[in-house]
Amino acid sequence: MRQKLINGLVGIFVAMLLGAGVMVMQGYQPIETYLALFNYSLGNWYSIATTLRNSVPLVLTGLSASVAFASGPVNLGQPGQLLMGALLATVGGLYLDLPPAMLLPILIFLALLGGALWSGVAALLRYWFNMSEFITTLMLNMIADFFTYWAISYWFFDKAAYSPMTPPINQNGWMPEWGDFNTSVIIMFIAVLVVWFIFTRSLAGYEWRISGQNNLFARLGGVEIDRNYMWVMLLTGALAGLAGGLVVLAGPHRFIKDIGANYAWDGVMIAMVANNGIVATLLYGLFFAILQTGALGMELITAVPSELIMVIQAVIVLVVVAGRGYLEILASKLAERRKMRERAI
Amino acid sequence: MKIAIGLINGMITAATPILLAALGGTLTFYAGIFNIAMEGMMLAGAFFAVIGSYFFNSWLMGILFAVLASLVMAVIFILFSVVLKTDEFVTGIGLNLFALGATTYFLRQIFKVKGAFSGPGIVSVPNIEIPLIKDIPLVGEILSGHNLIVYLTLIITIWVAYLVFKTRFGLRLRAAGYNPTCLDTSGVPADRVRIWSLIICGALCGLAGAYLSLGYVTLFSENMSAGRGWISLAAVILVNGNPWGIALISLLFGFSDGLGLFLQRVLPSQFTSMVPYVATLIALFVYSIRRKETVLS
Amino acid sequence: MNTIIEMQGIVKVFPPNVVALNDVSVDFREGEIHAIVGENGAGKSTLMKILYGMQPANSGRIRYRGQDAIFHDPGEAIANGIGMVHQEIILIPEYTVWQNVVLGVEPVGLFGRIDEKEARRRVQARIQEFNFNLAVDAEVGDISVAARQKVEILKLLYRDVSVLIMDEPTAVLTPQEIPQLFNELRRLRDNGHTILFISHRLDEVMELSDRITVLRRGRKIGTVDTADTSKEQLAQMMVGREVIFSPLRQEQQIGDVVADIQGITYIDAMKRERLKDISIRVRASEIVGVAGVEGNGQFELVNVLMGLLKPTSGEFFVCGERLTHASILDRRKKIAFVSQDRASMGACLSASIMENVLMTHHRLNKRFSKFGGLVLDYAQANRFTEEVRQKLDVQMDSRQAVFRSLSGGNQQKVILGRELSLGAPFILLDQPTRGLDVGSIEYVHQQILRMRAESYALLMLSSDLDELFRISDRIVVLHRGRIVADLITAETSITEVGYFMLEGKPNATKID
Repeated sequence: MRQKLINGLVGIFVAMLLGAGVMVMQGYQPIETYLALFNYSLGNWYSIATTLRNSVPLVLTGLSASVAFASGPVNLGQPGQLLMGALLATVGGLYLDLPPAMLLPILIFLALLGGALWSGVAALLRYWFNMSEFITTLMLNMIADFFTYWAISYWFFDKAAYSPMTPPINQNGWMPEWGDFNTSVIIMFIAVLVVWFIFTRSLAGYEWRISGQNNLFARLGGVEIDRNYMWVMLLTGALAGLAGGLVVLAGPHRFIKDIGANYAWDGVMIAMVANNGIVATLLYGLFFAILQTGALGMELITAVPSELIMVIQAVIVLVVVAGRGYLEILASKLAERRKMRERAI
Repeated sequence: MKIAIGLINGMITAATPILLAALGGTLTFYAGIFNIAMEGMMLAGAFFAVIGSYFFNSWLMGILFAVLASLVMAVIFILFSVVLKTDEFVTGIGLNLFALGATTYFLRQIFKVKGAFSGPGIVSVPNIEIPLIKDIPLVGEILSGHNLIVYLTLIITIWVAYLVFKTRFGLRLRAAGYNPTCLDTSGVPADRVRIWSLIICGALCGLAGAYLSLGYVTLFSENMSAGRGWISLAAVILVNGNPWGIALISLLFGFSDGLGLFLQRVLPSQFTSMVPYVATLIALFVYSIRRKETVLS
Repeated sequence: MNTIIEMQGIVKVFPPNVVALNDVSVDFREGEIHAIVGENGAGKSTLMKILYGMQPANSGRIRYRGQDAIFHDPGEAIANGIGMVHQEIILIPEYTVWQNVVLGVEPVGLFGRIDEKEARRRVQARIQEFNFNLAVDAEVGDISVAARQKVEILKLLYRDVSVLIMDEPTAVLTPQEIPQLFNELRRLRDNGHTILFISHRLDEVMELSDRITVLRRGRKIGTVDTADTSKEQLAQMMVGREVIFSPLRQEQQIGDVVADIQGITYIDAMKRERLKDISIRVRASEIVGVAGVEGNGQFELVNVLMGLLKPTSGEFFVCGERLTHASILDRRKKIAFVSQDRASMGACLSASIMENVLMTHHRLNKRFSKFGGLVLDYAQANRFTEEVRQKLDVQMDSRQAVFRSLSGGNQQKVILGRELSLGAPFILLDQPTRGLDVGSIEYVHQQILRMRAESYALLMLSSDLDELFRISDRIVVLHRGRIVADLITAETSITEVGYFMLEGKPNATKID
């Protein structure tokens, strides 16, 4: 636990140091820049509320990737599943006219369904034809990207708009706001809790975790690998779909082109730094939301391009992951030395 | 007839970057490395090709910069997965993200643009007319007039096939994949062979990137590798690394790309753009059916 | 004779808490066959791996031909004339004999191209020089284990090594193949090679070696001339006490048929017949041993019985229930299974001990779940882990510790505890003592016999004939996927079983 914390903090520190180096090289003030960044994402209630809202897709896609990787399936399809969830929720919001108490749950369900359908395609391809989900989910991402682009350019195109997007959805389907805070955050926390419970407390979660670590052992132990695989794919697809749905319902209230582009690899990235842990995924998801939200402020105030954050994020991934391996080697070296000393006594 | 020639030339053009990256990927595949960083290496290559070409007004410098940038990526990969023993999958994803972030940032920082950069200052890699052959009707149109890198790719394909199956390096390379302990105990550190395979892979992916931004088109746009690295990985897996098989598969993907353009007359462009990715899925499907026939259970 | 290698004060620690070698000093003379004996886990292989540069020592020094020499990798050791043939053969099955031999020192022509003709010629010359019966162009995957071992030796001789370390070379051979190996080793010694021979079989050591060093629990007990010692003395040095070869089995009334394997045939994807018409009946209170050289269908038999492979034909019943095509979960209601590979099949090394103990029980035993089998009952799982710990006397830090942190013997105890408490009538044991130290082996054998006394039916595959003869009631022999003999243990001998293993038939003429 402490090792994980040290590893994470060191990774973040090194990455930000490298980022500072880049800034100095190009004549910016690093401290001022970082202050601007954190001030913009955490400086007041409104900023915090915005950061929290931005964390929703990050945490949910991260959760999707974490649960998938920890259970075995290499589901890299969060971007595609997110888009399909967003599209289905949008379509529901365009055509259904119900009071909020009914419409909201239905739209959230549609978002879950959209993601699950898309990951279900990959799962079935694996189940029927033994096609590795690792490549199929990637290809399905591209296909979902073009498909939704087409859908909003032709099928559900808003005739009043100049660029591809759908008309706004029924107002009853907007996620309510409490002051500055958007309720999509509550849905996110509920999702984290539910997933945590399934993963660590349920019989199925136990089987998923063991299968993810040693598939053959689980199989010989009587675990039904194929059925579990299906459930994991569907659940993780649904989580990514939920992320997409909430982005639409909480934000622009319509499907705009490139709505998911910002989150393309973020889920996978967060799962990796979090080492597929549920709580760690939540924490890193929040932290990356702070960085991404603050990036805009950083650009506005100090003229450092917000794209720098993309570099820093990637460096955090590399440093944290490498550090994890290195710390393990170090721990085993230390144990060896301790034993040598014991022998001498 | 014109359409047919257009399709064939389109096929060759689109196949080239995939083939180059896949040839690099096949070396790491034989060495037993799960290398998924081709996408990022290619992207870094594409961006720095534009840098080299733009600032030195020379396509040769463009290629050199592309290869160097991609080699830097390869060196980071080596540092992480070979030296620090970090998980290869995670390293690959991390590097791809890093390439995407860094090229986007530098695009903004150096050229002050978002999305894409093109300009008259970028010198593209020339096309080559082959004397005599170019005058033969039909054949000349197909064989002559391609980009220099296309011909280079042909030579590299032959070279990689020779390298893997005929040379000392090839014997050791495959041994590193089959049983690294055996190679180690034979007096050749498997890690050294892996490092070389990654370096060559880096160089080839750099060349693939240079082709994207200085051959295929003359510009750089954000994330312009657009999944080609992943398709090349699929190609390697599909034919179990055989270089000639990779050439064939790449041409098939190239063909699907050209077909997509052709289909734009009847279908919305969003659907035609999907064609290469759908083709990859179909190829994987055919592969799995074939494997099912040979392997039970 | 000159001393060629001196190892002084060698210490090796394996984290977290194993001292594999504790201040071991030993010297080897040029041109001798020097046996290093000790029980499993005594540190024999580790000592040799340190000499060979495969593992670094934590302290100590090595002198080779009068000079300090620490090799950092095997390549360096080989270049200096020290080569090692490992217990598990390390070759590339996809390559031919000559490719395996020249790998790393290939003759090359222009542009790094391998000079195949020259390579073949050189390898052929070596084969003739040492009178090995090998074909240069044979693919290593297709030749016998004994031949592969020869390829390993040839590979080292091709590199002109003068010191040859052999790690338990007879473990993979049948009794009939051993004399030939010994003749080859003697011939090499007579040519001036030094041979370091790791073994725990005293008969072999007495027959082959000139001097013997005995290790026990990481310490050197002594070095003796073979001519001046006896098997009994060596045994005592090895174990540290008087060895009593007690009869382990007690006579017992055998019961009804529990497991009934009827004419199982398995043809693999390459259309090769891996199992042919296998029929075995195991009765209650009976241990049936399966002998055979590895690779003669043991793997396939276990996988067919466990449901990982589908048999092409034949039937399999346990207690009258047809399991031929049953799901693994349904099989597990009737079969307890201890696999030979703890890391990949028997346990999940990175999960906690409790999570490992829980496997299979979580599905078959209602007490471990709540709310209709949806939620795990951790309190029950912990209680159960505690029961297993006490019953089998497992040494562990905590129930939540990762499984990897346990020693091999304790890992096997946990696995046995899990499987034997399933209460399944049929127990399938695949090499249950592989890689364990002597104390643990003894313990596992006792547990197996206890299950026999409690009227369970047991089928045990083993490549260790001593083990089979010690505890099984019957021995069936697998040869090329067929059962070639079904013998009552009390009425047969190791030699007879050995013939069946090698030749597939009795009374074969002796080969040399």
